[in-house]
Amino acid sequence: MKKELDRRTFIKLTGTASGALLVGTHIWSCKDEKLPAEQYEFSPLIKIDSEGWITLIAKNPEIGQGIKTSLPMILAEELGADWNKVKVEQADFDEKYEEQWAGGSFAIILNWDLMRTAAAKARQVLIEVASKRLNKPINELIARNSRIEHPQSGEGIPFAELLQEASKLSAPEEVEFKSVDSYEIIGKKTPQVDMDELLNGKAIFGLDVQVPDMCYATVLKNPVHNGGVGKFDGAAARSVSGVLDVVELNNQEYGGRLIGPNSPNFVNGIAVIANNTWAAFKAAKLLNVKWDNSTSRRENTEQIFQRFHQQLADTTIERSDGNTERAIRNATTTFEAIYELPFLAHVPMEPMNCTVDFRTDHCEVWAPTQNPKALEEGLIRLFKLSPEQITIHLPRIGGAFGRRYYVDYAMDAAILSKKMGRPVKLCWTREEDIKHDWYRPASVHKMVAGLDGEGKVTAWKHVLANASRKTSLGREGNPAGTEIDEYEFPAGFVPNLQLEYGHVLSDVPLGQWRAVGHSATAFSALCFLDELAVLNQADPIAYFLDFLGEPRMVPVVDDYEYDASRLIAVVEKVRDNSNWGSSLPKGWGRGFAASKHSGSFVAEVVTVAVDTNEKIRVVSVDAVVDCGIVVNPSGAAAQVEGGILEGLCAALYGEITIKDGVSEQSNFNDYRWMRMEESPEIKVEFIANELPPRGLGEPPLPPAAPALANAIFAATGRRIRKLPINKPALP
Amino acid sequence: MPTYQLTINSNKVTVEADPDTPLLWILRDHLGLTGTKYSCGVGICGSCTVHYNGNAVRACSFPIANVEEGEILTIEGISEKNSTALRAAWKALDVPQCGYCHSGQIMSATALLAKNPKPSKAEINTAMSGNICRCGTYSRIQRAIELAANNLDG
Ligand code: FES
Ligand code: FES
Repeated sequence: MKKELDRRTFIKLTGTASGALLVGTHIWSCKDEKLPAEQYEFSPLIKIDSEGWITLIAKNPEIGQGIKTSLPMILAEELGADWNKVKVEQADFDEKYEEQWAGGSFAIILNWDLMRTAAAKARQVLIEVASKRLNKPINELIARNSRIEHPQSGEGIPFAELLQEASKLSAPEEVEFKSVDSYEIIGKKTPQVDMDELLNGKAIFGLDVQVPDMCYATVLKNPVHNGGVGKFDGAAARSVSGVLDVVELNNQEYGGRLIGPNSPNFVNGIAVIANNTWAAFKAAKLLNVKWDNSTSRRENTEQIFQRFHQQLADTTIERSDGNTERAIRNATTTFEAIYELPFLAHVPMEPMNCTVDFRTDHCEVWAPTQNPKALEEGLIRLFKLSPEQITIHLPRIGGAFGRRYYVDYAMDAAILSKKMGRPVKLCWTREEDIKHDWYRPASVHKMVAGLDGEGKVTAWKHVLANASRKTSLGREGNPAGTEIDEYEFPAGFVPNLQLEYGHVLSDVPLGQWRAVGHSATAFSALCFLDELAVLNQADPIAYFLDFLGEPRMVPVVDDYEYDASRLIAVVEKVRDNSNWGSSLPKGWGRGFAASKHSGSFVAEVVTVAVDTNEKIRVVSVDAVVDCGIVVNPSGAAAQVEGGILEGLCAALYGEITIKDGVSEQSNFNDYRWMRMEESPEIKVEFIANELPPRGLGEPPLPPAAPALANAIFAATGRRIRKLPINKPALP
Repeated sequence: MPTYQLTINSNKVTVEADPDTPLLWILRDHLGLTGTKYSCGVGICGSCTVHYNGNAVRACSFPIANVEEGEILTIEGISEKNSTALRAAWKALDVPQCGYCHSGQIMSATALLAKNPKPSKAEINTAMSGNICRCGTYSRIQRAIELAANNLDG
């Protein structure tokens, strides 16, 4: 039950729906548009017209996580809408929608109550009107299929016939949510609302936006990380037919390298503007630049890792339970291992791009961004605009994975449109995308365990050293920006636990990658537990379950605990689903890992086959997930499949190496991604429960790489302590 | 600047462009057909796949000067029975995630079924190995091609 204080009349007649039908994306086109229908707005998110069509606003950026479908499903469920007469419209960025961003698997968590409250209010008002009309008590009425029904008598009235009267009522004071067992839309496999457009080429991604009179642009950024601008000769570039201008992009003129905590500014470089993208691409290759790199450390990967290793000895303690040093000294056995993880790129399929129409007093942006708020803040900072002078449209996005949390490319486009005085569509090449990403930080992890006579872990130490993404992004108030936080597994499970962080400064641009720091910390912890199991000649899953102990609430920090039984349950289930322990052909092996992330619990078993040439084939993956209520099982399984595949791809091939300050990789030839023939069969099962839904974009990723490494050990007896696995050969 | 006569999705069009301009940018920037996608630009990801005289080709690496007499089909223009069956299967299995790669995936799959109406799993893998899906929809694509082939058969 939620208190609601707003007693204003909250339903607005917004005019005729036929006008509304012309904007946004429609799932099902309204066949009968002859008579203009009256449309009523129940909240910024819900509009119902007198012909029974319901328009639901999809407010968050759609990056492939299915949010454009799942948030409207929540609205439709709570409202009692007929999904077949629902149209979904993508919202622009607007403060009124709240929590309008994509990242950290938070969208469903943050919007679950927001969506349900908006829809429950609308439903209750409709019920109130119907109750009078049918002369039935409110508590005997339900909303289903866009009707208010009285099940006992079989009577009912369509929503459409209740609108006018409903519009005279005020918002209900309290809302009551539908019970989970009455759900008819949530929990049902539902194809994406844009499906038809995705299959006929009509879906508009950022790069597909077309604005009258627009020109096209691309950039050549200083390849050296943290380099300056350069002296350039643009004559050859300008001579390419179709080229309109060549422009320097100097971030010192716009606030420097960072424009706020967590917000990198654009990277120094040169832009070419032309009549078409190809002319811009071609001309950019002809730019003759002498870059000023006096500001750069000109780093190399080997040297960076050396510094990480040295820093393991000089750290800050981030968490300390019990007395870890003493417990290690007193242990019957101690065990130590060091793991190394590389820098990783995001490589979303749609390269960085943005379209901006910057007129003197208004800036209109079509932005494939996960973070429209940061984009607005950036425009305000760089151009001294007020929010009213900014319009941000949110087209579909061809993948993001954390890369589009940063709005550097949008700043490029805004500067160019302002300079040209006309709309500009900026498109980075793939090469620029890979060389100027905000990479997953590389890291080195030293793990130490103390075991008692029975092989039980009594002390656990995790020492992490790296260059921090937080420092790279200028996060305020935390100069050493730890990459291991106090929540880190196995906090709460071991009496003597110490987490330490050693910080190294670097020029390499760093940011969030899927599952953020957990992609690295989970690899180290879950491979290390597998090593401990083997050391004790125990079955890895049995050892892990032993390690978790009794089902109970585990106190992680003062104000946060979680239910270990949910973690135990996914582990037991994946053990059974994968036929764990049954025999396999020679050269095959199974590996296991499980973790909790964003409130969801995921356990995975990876099966690999390693042939005599040491070629690794991932045969299959079994995954069991507890993320609370599953809103759209089809989209949810897709997130799990995608997260697992990403974890496996990165573990097998993912690596950005740096030479003389420059990222060496540039396209899919040297930043490899799995192809279809390499992709394993992935079986996903969700634990059914009625707990509030939790994140799902990230949680499936962290267990994938350690489960793979553990499987390779099971198959070959060789331990993977350094990623990527496939380079150069098995250790 | 030279002009070129092209047949795209059964329409005759004339475009003026530099001879080295890849077909991809003719489609996207000159003709506004944005269903064909740019991703790698060097012929190794398959996002820009179109049909040229019935063969799947990479539009990003196909200069307009080489597009002689011939029929170009893009995702906006395919409508024969294979593509219809494939789209239905794609929808039934809710294949796309971000969806960006799927114009290219469907163009490659359509070309495959035209030549091989009943492909084995290995043949599907071979035909589709040039199309990257960053989001990881491979296993759904495989199943969708099998489903479409079965439905066409039945
Ligand atoms: S964009 Fe043409 S193959 Fe990648
Ligand atoms: S669905 Fe996103 S790249 Fe394939």
